Amino acid sequence: MQMTSAEYVDCLRAAATLLNENKDYITELDAATGDGDHWANMNMGFVRLMEMSEELAALPVSDLFKKIAMTMMSVIGGSAGVLYGSAYLKAAAAAKDAQAIDLPLLRDILRAQLEGIMSRGKAQPGFKTMVDPLHQAVDAMERAMEEGKNEAEVLSAMRDGAEAGMKATADMEAMRGRACYQPDKGVGHLDPGAVTMWYQLQTLADFLLKEGNAV
Amino acid sequence: MKKIINDPNRVVSDMLRGIAAVNPKVEYFPEAEVIASKEKREKVGVISGGGSGHEPAFGGYIGRGMLSAAVAGNVFASPSPDRIIKGIEEANGGKGVLAVIMNYSGDLMNFDMAKEMAEMEGIDVEIVVVKDDVAVPDREDATGRRGIAGTLLVHKVAGAKAEAGGTLAEVAAVAQKAIDRVRTMGMSMSSCTIPAVGKPGFALGDDEIEIGMGIHGEPGIERTGVKSAKELAAILIEKITADYDYSGSEVAVMVNGLGATPLMELYILAGEAEAVLKEKGIRPWRWFVGNYMTSLEMAGCSITLLKLDDELKELIDAPCEAPAFRV
Repeated sequence: MQMTSAEYVDCLRAAATLLNENKDYITELDAATGDGDHWANMNMGFVRLMEMSEELAALPVSDLFKKIAMTMMSVIGGSAGVLYGSAYLKAAAAAKDAQAIDLPLLRDILRAQLEGIMSRGKAQPGFKTMVDPLHQAVDAMERAMEEGKNEAEVLSAMRDGAEAGMKATADMEAMRGRACYQPDKGVGHLDPGAVTMWYQLQTLADFLLKEGNAV
Repeated sequence: MKKIINDPNRVVSDMLRGIAAVNPKVEYFPEAEVIASKEKREKVGVISGGGSGHEPAFGGYIGRGMLSAAVAGNVFASPSPDRIIKGIEEANGGKGVLAVIMNYSGDLMNFDMAKEMAEMEGIDVEIVVVKDDVAVPDREDATGRRGIAGTLLVHKVAGAKAEAGGTLAEVAAVAQKAIDRVRTMGMSMSSCTIPAVGKPGFALGDDEIEIGMGIHGEPGIERTGVKSAKELAAILIEKITADYDYSGSEVAVMVNGLGATPLMELYILAGEAEAVLKEKGIRPWRWFVGNYMTSLEMAGCSITLLKLDDELKELIDAPCEAPAFRV
């Protein structure tokens, strides 16, 4: 696979659409354990990215990621903004001067994003956060590549890992953010930040798995 | 929702414009939602910031002897690093900047990132984190204890030390000393409505109060029936003194209102608190009674104790020109 900046922006568009369609679901999840503003903040960020889509599509990969970082940081704000900002700054560093994203680079980008979020949030897998789907996605992807699986299998493994990580947050006790003040630490509820991370990983995998994309 | 606003999505900008409109000594930077002192001198800058909705925190605490700049986030949400950097730049008088923030995940991450970015610009930044809310157990593994009204006493101490010519390390050290010795316990009697959300964040029955609720409506320790001022003073101070030993000490006491509680009730509570403290052998050196750290229109209060020594007494007593903090 060879994914261009323009195609990455197409992925973001798919994520923006999926996010937009799930307003009530995400807001309800967040109201159970948090402030109830996660969807609104994330949506604002993606709406702004889509307003900039033409400009973004024309940038080299590394600059694209830097621009996404700064936009998400300032527009989403709060906790999610700075975490995605940190993730995309690390992604920009991982992309270096690449003209397009191939499978090994995609793996490196996702690994860098995971490390960026974990270090900024001082969070580990199992803390009931957006880290969980990303962590399992990256692990599954690396494992599949080491086992010599083909591209479609690697991307499917990434997608399945992300979904499993998202679903696993339901049983976890929150260690970060407002949910950790709840008497039950949010156990029984999916983490809304993990769900919106899953949307992004899901749309990324689906886009790349679709025939004719990123060839 | 009945509120004196123009547009629920513009309350932060409109409020900051108002703060700057009535205080000729500060300037408002709308693109960053920063309020900063116009007076630029060679001293350590002390800044704070966090979600809005806690007024006069923090824009009302700018003035000689307290904060140099304040960075506002949206209601109950941390400001982003690009806003914080503007606050750091405006507060920087060449001797570095101390950020005194409260212990919430979002504030920790955003200020941390802003510190890294400011240091790349060559500005020294230290961060100290207030965690005074004894309703929450302090934990090393999780985010732990929240920062609430005790934060203002830390701002006062740090601002006075900076005014006295302290270095960044000295100002940070004295702020940390105050953090180590300050504890707060609160209670709420009604909910509040984030303007952009338009409906109350939680519900409390007419005859119900919640002991230990956070200043964003986070769950407290227990819901119970309405208590007298005397009972409340005893409950709140008991919880504080069970966490930290104040016996025989001189203390600064803050009796804080959450926004909708009249000063009449705060003074009734302060009178009862004075009696409880006397009984426990705790000696109030100075009292602060008022709406210092609010939670929109939430009704309720908190009591804060700061254990003083000679250095902290001098800093608490030092002159202060912040409009919302009079000594």
